[in-house]
Amino acid sequence: MLRAAGKYRQAFLLGLQGSLVYRWNFAVRGFFSLFHLAAVFILWGAAFAGREQVGGFDLRQTLTYFTTILFLQFLISAFNEDYQISEEIRQGLINQFLLKPINYFLYRLSIFAAARLVSGALILLPLAAAYPFIHDAMAFPSEPWRLVAALPALVLSALVQFTIAYCFGLLTFWFLEIQGLVVLSMAVEAVLGGQIFPLDLLPPALHEVARFLPFYYQMYFPAAILTGRIGPAEASEGLALQAGWVVLLLLIAHALWVRGLRRHTAVGG
Amino acid sequence: MNALPQHLCVWAASARYSLTRALMFRGDFIIWSLVELFWMGVNLLLVEVIYRHTDSIAGWNRAEMLLLLGTSLLIQRLLMGFFWSGLYDLGRNVRNGHLDFFLAQPGSVMFMVSTRKLDPDGLVNSVVALGLVIYAAGELGLRPDLGQLALYAVLVGCGLVIHYSVLMLSTASVFWLTSAQGVEGGYFSLIEFSRMPREAFRGAAEVIFVWMLPVVVVSNAPARVLLHGFEPVWALGLAGFAALWLGLAVLVFHRGLRRYASASS
Repeated sequence: MLRAAGKYRQAFLLGLQGSLVYRWNFAVRGFFSLFHLAAVFILWGAAFAGREQVGGFDLRQTLTYFTTILFLQFLISAFNEDYQISEEIRQGLINQFLLKPINYFLYRLSIFAAARLVSGALILLPLAAAYPFIHDAMAFPSEPWRLVAALPALVLSALVQFTIAYCFGLLTFWFLEIQGLVVLSMAVEAVLGGQIFPLDLLPPALHEVARFLPFYYQMYFPAAILTGRIGPAEASEGLALQAGWVVLLLLIAHALWVRGLRRHTAVGG
Repeated sequence: MNALPQHLCVWAASARYSLTRALMFRGDFIIWSLVELFWMGVNLLLVEVIYRHTDSIAGWNRAEMLLLLGTSLLIQRLLMGFFWSGLYDLGRNVRNGHLDFFLAQPGSVMFMVSTRKLDPDGLVNSVVALGLVIYAAGELGLRPDLGQLALYAVLVGCGLVIHYSVLMLSTASVFWLTSAQGVEGGYFSLIEFSRMPREAFRGAAEVIFVWMLPVVVVSNAPARVLLHGFEPVWALGLAGFAALWLGLAVLVFHRGLRRYASASS
């Protein structure tokens, strides 16, 4: 057990080194994300002009939500893991993992965890620089249960994010080019994950449908817990649904891996 | 004296090649058309959701906002259709030395680099964006005369020049930075502002995004032509911005080109 953990610890450390090489890329991306935040502040500031609340929340609560979403994008979301997996399959680099006593999913998950640790830390720099300008607009709730509930929600969200990206990467066993499908799904994930607007602003029927989809648990759910958009009952019910989606996605990922390997052909050495 | 027709001939040949390629990879064409359509839908959904809860954003009603969004998307799709692939490849070509291929061509390097590829999926979606503009104009009961339509087209053209220049400035940084990845993302961050009414910007945001960077005026000026007719300040302002930013892009590109040292750069 310990030896197995050691393998993935090494993969994590390798991932950490690999991500640190691209620290400037993450930093530049983080800096430009402040422009996105500025656009959000201006648009929603104008939408709230002359009114106290929109959808039951005030301007500060809404801006807090979007700032939290920005941080979570760097902390738990999949960046280009699907593309990396796709390239490893396409170029035959995956063959080395088939001959070694290593679980490819756990190997990739270790690299993902390392990359998010680096990008999650680096986004704190631009956010810290912006803090003097935005701190008046921040309104986090103070209930301690939110932090307790947010921790497992964040871990499960990261797993949902990664496993969906992993499944898309594995589609390369069937399709030569998956980039179009990935960008297509990004649009769906951005909307139904609450990155474009808080999902509680949707008509109630659509919001109810979204609650049962995996995208809801990618980003909106932990952000809603942290920023006070959902209560304890909805949070505990959501955690159960989120865990259910993780199990289902893991099963899908396993099935894709097993069936995909049957189609895979390794040539040369 | 024959430079312009010669360049147009080269551009037409590149366009023919791109269209033939799109017909060869039809599945790819359909997927990428859908990708762009979905992302346009995301922007539309944002407007619809906000206007479920409010009647006005900075004094603009829903239909006016759709007109502005349609105009912004139209300019962006035209950029994607005509220039995106060429400029996206520029970064890679500088890194691996493939820019040599363009240097050897009989014409302006900047023109060749920019017009090498045409993306039909972007152009198809520019028709969808135009459809959104027409729908919004219908909702508003607008009946623009021929002069207004011609001015709208000219200002959309100026907007395209500004978008192109900003993207060129971003990608030309590869001559100094080796990798322009991430910097290109800056372009997408900036165009978010072009979907917002100018009246939403106050204080420092107004100085930066309205006066220093041409990201707001680029779509607001054409949209205002349809809404309010000819406003000299807006029209001439946009044309001036277009000339200024194109000049800057040409200058920076050629400065960067001097640093290019083939495959070793």
